This record gives sequence, structure tokens and C-alpha cells, in this order.
Amino acid sequence: MAVAWLAAFIVWAVIWVWVFLADEPAIWITERDLELMRPIVENRRGWLTPPMEWANRIGSDWAVPIVGWSAVVIGLATKRIRHVLLLIASLATVAAISTIVGAEIMRPRPLGFTQIGEWEGFSQPSRPVALLTAGLVAALLTTTPTGRPRRIGIALIVGLLVVFGFAQLYVGVDHPTDVLAGVNVGVAVTLLLYRLVAPEAVFPIHYRGGNTAHLDVTGRRGEAIRRALHDQLGVAVADIEPVGLEGSAGSTPLKITRSDGTALFAKLYARSHLRSDRSYKLGRTLLYGRLEDEQHFTSVRRLIQHEDYMLRVMAAAGIEAMSPLGIVEITPEHEYLLVTEFLDGAVEIDQAEMTEELIDASLQAVCALWTAGLAHRDIKPANVMVRGSEVHLIDVAFGQVRPSPWRQAVDLANMMLVLALTSSPETVYERARRYFSEDEIAEAFAASRGVTLPSQLRGDVRRDGRELVERFRSLAPERSPVAIQRWTVRRLALTLWVAFVAAALAAVFLGNVGDIGLL
Amino acid sequence: MPPLLSLLVLTVSIAACSVEQTLPPPHCEQAGSGLIVAQSVPDAELVPCVGPLPAGWEIDGVRIDDGGTRLRFDSDRAGDDAAVLHFTRTCDRGDAVTVPSDRAGAERFESIERLVPGFRADRYYAFEGGCVRWRFDFDDGAPAGLSVELGSALVLLSRDDVNEILRETFIDEEL
Repeated sequence: MAVAWLAAFIVWAVIWVWVFLADEPAIWITERDLELMRPIVENRRGWLTPPMEWANRIGSDWAVPIVGWSAVVIGLATKRIRHVLLLIASLATVAAISTIVGAEIMRPRPLGFTQIGEWEGFSQPSRPVALLTAGLVAALLTTTPTGRPRRIGIALIVGLLVVFGFAQLYVGVDHPTDVLAGVNVGVAVTLLLYRLVAPEAVFPIHYRGGNTAHLDVTGRRGEAIRRALHDQLGVAVADIEPVGLEGSAGSTPLKITRSDGTALFAKLYARSHLRSDRSYKLGRTLLYGRLEDEQHFTSVRRLIQHEDYMLRVMAAAGIEAMSPLGIVEITPEHEYLLVTEFLDGAVEIDQAEMTEELIDASLQAVCALWTAGLAHRDIKPANVMVRGSEVHLIDVAFGQVRPSPWRQAVDLANMMLVLALTSSPETVYERARRYFSEDEIAEAFAASRGVTLPSQLRGDVRRDGRELVERFRSLAPERSPVAIQRWTVRRLALTLWVAFVAAALAAVFLGNVGDIGLL
Repeated sequence: MPPLLSLLVLTVSIAACSVEQTLPPPHCEQAGSGLIVAQSVPDAELVPCVGPLPAGWEIDGVRIDDGGTRLRFDSDRAGDDAAVLHFTRTCDRGDAVTVPSDRAGAERFESIERLVPGFRADRYYAFEGGCVRWRFDFDDGAPAGLSVELGSALVLLSRDDVNEILRETFIDEEL
């Protein structure tokens, strides 16, 4: 679809520029343009002129900054960085095209009329119309969900552009075809960029909470998932619904109901998750140094293979996780589904009644990880599921084989914090001494601090207000904190490089913020 | 660098070619930007255009809008922005004195602020409905005579001449 847009836009642009660079067609079009706008300009009315001058001024000077910065603020507040960058890229591209094409065509302002509005440079295509169109369309695609809100937004944009376009004709600064060309450039470039870089199916706009990386599993993707599950695993799907989105930031978790009524669990991975993984690990490396083997994955296939492998390794080590049923390919190298059993009747551990048996089972799970030389690395309430007396460690995507003792210690600290959230640190500490030495527990909390806690657990501990980490430290033998900041030449170089790129980008942006209509 | 960041840097960099940096200067024998220069001061009887520039001079920026026209000139001896030409409806000539005009239909005024170390002066051509102002601000050591050289590149066409060029090169209309 995006390729079709690109092709259509290029064809249009070539024909358009050719028409205006050739004398005869350009003269013919200009004559028609002047005929069309003559009744408008020659019938200016005293009561209509002030609002038209106002519309010309607002549309040229104020509308793009107001709409653009509002969309940027909303986009940043809702963590849609990709959309915000696309908005800036759209305005920059439209500004560049309008300016370069305008300088080639060199069309004067409408001849024979007095211009009573603001203008700058050549008239074809209309630069203010193109920038306003791009700003409005980009703002719509950045902030407004599809469906009724998007349709209302489109109607508003059309209305605004009709008013502004008419004002441009009324004050005599643009020809009708200048306005049309401006709208065409603005819409085509913006839609093309958004469809290429942030397609709606992958990056939908919604305000129902959860992570922005979660994929929409309705429509064509939903159909593709159903077909792939049937063809590759023989699963007849009755329903697909997202599940547990609030606890998952690196994939789209799904509950798949089969036609016989039983359920499966699946995690959908796409290239967006691969990019998230890369950004997440880059951020951690910059902030804390390379704590562990934090190499990012280079393909979606490898990402999902790793999780499937960790599930199987944990199962072989006797750790209750979720039995893997296979990997389903939705789009080669782009989207894959990891299918496992569904823990019917299981609840997250903070929803379960906390008993000493449950505490023991949870600590035994950590003990089993230590014994098998594994680390889960993402122990938080959403990843510790309870069904009856069983404790299941789910979401093993961050799992690691032969981790450092430090990493294993952090698993223990995180599990103890999870357990203490719905019991008491004293009880958890006493039960933990059955499986771990006091030195081991002391080391766990010496290594534990904000960065080592998954964000969900960090938030829960903060809201709990009992200073759980400090309480555990006071219960355990005294131990010096384990340093987690690791400075290496590589980290230093990477930090400098990122700072340089950010500064260069900021300089380029600030140097051109006026040229792209945002000032 | 992630593809999206690359795209952003690329497009914003392209946008760096602002209107001012891409507008061609008004040449005296072509319609081109000369038409919108005339439209920028619609009541002016004379319209400035630029002939061949003396060696060492180049045009760095052209701004043409509904408030007038501004051309910025760089020189290899007098420095960047050593001369700026403004075409507007009126000029505030301050204490500039009348000197014999070298352009038909226009009065000429001069205001020399200093000759050394760097020449700094204003030169005005006032005519019916418009005014052209040269602002010279040379680097230290650059000879004041460069302003005379550059000034010779300025041509003031009558509006009728511009309309004639319009009819010959583009369309049977008037400004």
C-alpha cells in the first residue's frame, strides 16, 4: 500500500512539474486559474475581507505551530516518540518539496490582482497550504484513534483547508491550482511516511492504557494469525483476545480460544518488539553499563527462538513455566507467535491468598533456577502465576543460562519482594532461610536497588510504602552494597556517540524549526 | 543510527534549504523571480534586478515577500553579508544627503558612517511608490570602491519593462 502511495505521488509530481515547466500547458493552466479566481477577487466585500485576511494570517503564521506543537506534546505524553518524529519529518519533507519545486516552477503570485494577504516566494505549490495540510494530517495520525474520532478529524481538516484555501484565493496570494497542489503534497507525503514507518496495524493510536507497542490483532493480522495457527499447528481458532497487556512491554500476549472451548496462550513478536529490545538494552547500557550479556537480538526469529529455548530449558530443569507448543510464522522475519499452554484458573501472585506453602513454593522456584544455572531476570507479580499450590514463572524472554552470581542474587531479592508485598518481610525472610543462607540473602539485597527491579515491581514496592528493601537489609547480616555501575571504554564511547547524535539532531532541528513551519 | 532517526535527520537537513536559500535572484532579462520582486512592492514604478556581478561577489540569500525584497551579498574581500539590498515601499533615510543620481527616474542619497577600518554606509534610490536601499558593512581593510563595483550590478527596470518581459516570456497579463 505504501509503495502504491509512493508511486502515485512520484507520478503526480513528475507530471505536475513537467506541466509547469513547459510553456504552453503552464500558460493555459494559469489563464484558467485567473479566470476561476477573478469573480472571487473582484467581488471582495468589506465585511468578508477582515476574516479572510485573518484566516490567511493565522493559517500562514500560527496554525502549524499551534497544531504541530500540540500534537508533539500529546505524542510525547503518550510515549509515541515514533509518531512525533514522523510529524517533524513530514513537515520537513513537505517544506523541502514545496521550496525546491517552487523554485523550479517560479510561478508568480496571481497576476492582475492586488495581493492583500501575507505571502513569501513563489506560489506553486502553495507552501503555507502544504505545511498546514501536513501539520493537520500528521497531528491527526499522531493523536487520533481510527474509527469515529478519525472520521470527525478528517471532516474538520477538510473544513479548515477549505476555509484557508478560499482565504488564499480571496486575498489574491494563491491560484486555485497552487492550493490544490499544496494539499496534494501535504497529504501524500504525510500519509506515505506514516504508512511506511508507523503503519496503523502495527502502531495503532489508542488511549485505553497499556503499552504502545502492543499490536492490534483484529483485521488482516487477526486473519493471518488464525490461518497460520491452523496451517502450522492444526489449531482451529474460535477467538483471539489480548490478555495481560499491562504486565507485558516486550510483546503482545494473547489468549487463543480453540473451537473446542479450550484455551492457549501465545506471545506475538514483531519487528517493533525487536526495536524496543534494542532501545531498551541501549538505554540500560548507557545508564548502568553492560550489567550482563545485554546484546540485542538481530532478528525477530532469534528473539522468539530464545524464548522458546528458555521455556524448554526451564521445563527440563523442573521449573514450572509454561509448556511450549511451538512457534508459528505469521510473516517471515517480521512476525512470529510463540504458543504455549494456557494456565487456566491461574492468577498473578499478588491476587492469590498468600500462605507459607505458597512462599515456600516460590522460593523453591528460585532455588531450582540457581541449581540449574539459570536466571529469570524479570521476576515481578505479573510473571509469577499461581494455580492451586503450583507456582509458575512465566515470560522467560529475559532468561539467561549461566548468569553471574550477582544476577541470580537479584532474582532472589525480587522474588522476596514480590512475596513480601502481600505478606510481611519478616515471614518471607524466615521462610527464605530454609533454602538460602543468610549471606546469600544479604548479598541479594546488597545487589538490589531501583535499576535491578522490573518497573512493575518497583512501582508496587514504592506504593507499598513499607521500605521493603531496607527492611530486608536490616533483617539480613550487614553487607556492603554491590556496585552496579560499570564504566568501560565502550560505554564511554557509546555515551559520547549518543550525545553527539542527539546534539547534532537538536542543532539541525532548532536551525530549521522556522523553515518547517513550527515557529 | 535507527532508520527513523536517519529519516528525520535527512528530511530536516533537506529543509535547511529554506525559501531564502533557494529563491533565485531577480535577473534583468527573465521573468523568474523578477515578477514577484515587482509584486512585493506593488506600487513601485521601478523594480530592481541584478545584472552580472563583479568578480568576488555572490548572492547568499534572497527573500521576497509581501513586505518587500532583500538580497544578501557575500564578498571574498569584504566578507559575508558585506552588502544587503532592500526593496521596500519607503525608506527611512535619516541624515542621508542627496547626491547626483546614476539611475533614471530615481533620486540618490548617501549616508557614510565610516570609511576605515571597514567601510560602512547606506545608499538609497527613492522613486515613485518604492525605494531601494544598499547597506554596506565591509570587513576591515576592504576598499570602499567595492561598493561602487557592486552598485553597478543593480538595474532599475520600469514597471512597464517588467510587464513587457512578462508578456514576452510568459503570459499576456499585467502585474
